[in-house]
Amino acid sequence: MSSVAEIESKFHFSREMLAGPIYRKYEKAIRKVWSVEDLDFTKDALDWQRITPEQQKGLLGVTIRFLAGEQAVTDELVPMLAAAHALRRFDWTMFLSTFLMEEAKHAEFFMRWHEKVVGVLDPDEVAPHFLVRGKTIDPSGRFEVRDVMHEALPHYGSRLLEASVSGSEAEIERAFVQFSAAYNAFVEGVLTMPSYEIVIDATAQWDAFPTLNQGFKLILMDEGRHITFGTEACRILIEKNPEYEEAVHEIFDAYRGNVVGLVEYQKAVPGLDLGKYQTMKVRHYRNRCREMGITPDATLIDQILDPTIDFVVGVEAG
Amino acid sequence: MAVRWSCVEAGCDWAVMAADADAIVPLVQAHIGEIHSSFELEDMIEAVLEDVPDGRASGAAD
Repeated sequence: MSSVAEIESKFHFSREMLAGPIYRKYEKAIRKVWSVEDLDFTKDALDWQRITPEQQKGLLGVTIRFLAGEQAVTDELVPMLAAAHALRRFDWTMFLSTFLMEEAKHAEFFMRWHEKVVGVLDPDEVAPHFLVRGKTIDPSGRFEVRDVMHEALPHYGSRLLEASVSGSEAEIERAFVQFSAAYNAFVEGVLTMPSYEIVIDATAQWDAFPTLNQGFKLILMDEGRHITFGTEACRILIEKNPEYEEAVHEIFDAYRGNVVGLVEYQKAVPGLDLGKYQTMKVRHYRNRCREMGITPDATLIDQILDPTIDFVVGVEAG
Repeated sequence: MAVRWSCVEAGCDWAVMAADADAIVPLVQAHIGEIHSSFELEDMIEAVLEDVPDGRASGAAD
């Protein structure tokens, strides 16, 4: 015969959970659902034909990385779901169900944009346009640039998945903070933010690609929830055990070169204000630290703002 | 309860108070757009709001 506690364990909703920040994000996500099918790519396809080959190359360098990146973050989210289940945080599981659907939709948006506007879709058609970051050179030799999206996320995701299956609660929590710091705080919350803005600025400057601009704004609306879910979850866990703060700094330190260097798109897309994107990375880094309730690394901030550190992340560097 | 938001852009010490999150979001977005030629997302603004128990909710910058 089941005890009352066993039966109660089958139910997860509580008044406290419904009033909490993560469940409110779930409700907001449900209210804000949008569909790629509702977007019209006709004007963007005409604009693609009228911009210069240099502009085409610059823009495609950005959008193809988004096409790969959105597929990567969709594919790499499962460890967070496993951890939410293992930690018995049903409100996290509910929110993550919207998170996963939205990342898949972002990948769909970029797939459709490239198919309908540029005419490329299959891997052999898009791969030649992918900017490979492994070739980046920092002339001072102080910073190493690694592919955080395609290297760190699978690595820390595997650790989180293993901890979720067989680790202690503390091991799962620490692995969650590391993964979320890499995924939500670093990649989504700092590194990618200038890239969104570069595309929005470029399309405004060229008076072109209204649907690409609209899609980026819709995606950003979703990303704001994703990023602040991750940082809120980290804050909750760091409040529980302040030693987890070190796990966040370890991630930012391991991929310091990626955030200190200039974004390659700044050079790939002609006519942009290069300094603006370094400054905004600092604002986003400070805000992610504020959200997590941790102290920012002052040295990292100084390095991002140091005008003498001006190597560019990407193949056009060096 | 009033809420407060402060800008952390390098070299900027602008801050603003308003009656609640709904009121403060457009003020912050206007600041980031006009002064820093950038954008700040609604969820990111709401995530770092500070409660000001006895604060005035004028919407004016500090």
